[in-house]
Amino acid sequence: MATPDELFCWEGDFGLPSVSTECLLVLAYAQFAGAPLKVHKISNPWRSPSGSLPALRTNQNETLTRPADIIIHLRKQKFNADYDLSAKEGADSLAFISLMEEKLVPALIYTFWVEPKNYVELTRSWYSEHMPFPLSLFLPGRMQRHQLDKLRLLREDASLEAGDELEKELYRDAMECINLLSQRLGSQKFFFGDSPSSLDAYVFGHLAPLLKSRLPNAKLQQHLKSVENLTHFCSDILLLYFPRDARENSNQKPSSAAEAGGDGDEVPYKRRKQLLSALFALGAMLSYAFLTGIVSIQHQQGALLEPPHHNPEQDEEDG
Amino acid sequence: MNVCVFIPTAAEPWPENATLYQPLKEDQILLSDCASSLAVQAYLRMCGLPVQVVCRANAEYMSPSGKIPFIHVGNQVVSELGPIVQFTKAKGHSLSDGLDDVQRAEMKAYMELVNNMLLTAELFIQWCDDATAAEISRPRYSSPYSWPLNNILAYQKQWEVRRKMNAIGWGGKTLEQVYEDVSQCCQALSQRLGTQPYFFSKQPTELDALVFGHLFTIITTRLTSGELAERIKGFSNLLSFCRRIEQTYFEDKTKNTKLSKFV
Repeated sequence: MATPDELFCWEGDFGLPSVSTECLLVLAYAQFAGAPLKVHKISNPWRSPSGSLPALRTNQNETLTRPADIIIHLRKQKFNADYDLSAKEGADSLAFISLMEEKLVPALIYTFWVEPKNYVELTRSWYSEHMPFPLSLFLPGRMQRHQLDKLRLLREDASLEAGDELEKELYRDAMECINLLSQRLGSQKFFFGDSPSSLDAYVFGHLAPLLKSRLPNAKLQQHLKSVENLTHFCSDILLLYFPRDARENSNQKPSSAAEAGGDGDEVPYKRRKQLLSALFALGAMLSYAFLTGIVSIQHQQGALLEPPHHNPEQDEEDG
Repeated sequence: MNVCVFIPTAAEPWPENATLYQPLKEDQILLSDCASSLAVQAYLRMCGLPVQVVCRANAEYMSPSGKIPFIHVGNQVVSELGPIVQFTKAKGHSLSDGLDDVQRAEMKAYMELVNNMLLTAELFIQWCDDATAAEISRPRYSSPYSWPLNNILAYQKQWEVRRKMNAIGWGGKTLEQVYEDVSQCCQALSQRLGTQPYFFSKQPTELDALVFGHLFTIITTRLTSGELAERIKGFSNLLSFCRRIEQTYFEDKTKNTKLSKFV
């Protein structure tokens, strides 16, 4: 108990403490239960003890990766957010968590990883911008293949691809699931009265990224935004339990002028990058030429190549 | 198959010759398929819709979704409990109309609990426990086929299920952990049922049919170890729930597999 357990998770953005559903629900559970974790928010999954995120390194040096295992571990340490639940409420939690896993998770995988516009413009660009250099080249693609495989296995369709029909089917299930959750929540603050439980952590973890991400194709997001009690539920949890992340986002939003300024900054930054890489490429080519002795040949051919260079110009003048 | 697409299906009454297809009952069907098939049969009986059960060795390949069971009604083929419930609803037969919004949400959630934990646990024990896979699942699954097709199909199926288990995070589980999950699921169902005759008071719903299909099949099926059935027998209200549905809806037909023999 002397040294706290260490939790490794994806760093946050869009006003969320973490961008990943699984990290988010573990963070939320730990907050609800008041577990003193040492949280490392990182953007390099290879720095996690298991090679994937989230991961919990306990003080006995065990590593847990599945959110359910992490929550069970915390519960054993007497950090139990479900302590006040009756047996029936515990049963309801289990049922609604299953409902989300069966009906919502496939649609979320589709929205973030399979739908081409969202994947290219949001998911891939976010991960490749945040990962360190060599990883950013191949890890987002590998994560996508992994998620696509998972969706194919969940749907038991080995040749599944992005498409309108699949999207319609997945979103229909997901919207139904969102509606059922909304009906269960009703006008309560949390699913079981006034204090949050593990079910609240699961719902928050699954819905908050969908609510807050800037998705180019936002069909499912639009539906969630139209369900008032769930949107309030998510923003209340953000304000109450992750005030720092929520504030960072609200600081960003009003200063749209600063955002425009940021865009202005980004362009020369990009140009400088382009210029630098062009210079680097040129330097590499020239040094290769020097080293292999092509340069001397180039010198001799320089004179020979000049006439053909002039020829087209002459032709034009003639014409 | 006669095609009469001009008549809207919703208006058509339930025909007398509706059929339900499943694999061969004696030599082929596996625990998970048997449970799903029994759930659909229980559901149709609760709705008062007659259906004739037909066993076919290639039922899995006849099904539009590749899943067992499926029903053939008029000119339509529908597989699995969820779509079948919607299909009967379109024909004006529903068991969950009397529920309010919260109850309906809870019913759907508990149905997913059964699919997510009980069904997955059945698949895990069938295909990922080496003893069960070698002694029961592979020989039964491939019984209609001759060598070498039987081995190819059985191992292919096993490989598919194992990949799926890995994808949903069950790959690293031990048998003991799976039994623990089953206990947890039954604990939840038992809590929810309490002392009521059915999950939502006096009338059965599709949830009752689904729970009955799985629990009854697990209790009455012999596996390499009786542990799975033992886990369920610990919950007396679930047992009497199974017995109640069996007596109310199956009494005439299933005299030879009476639950009371096994408990």
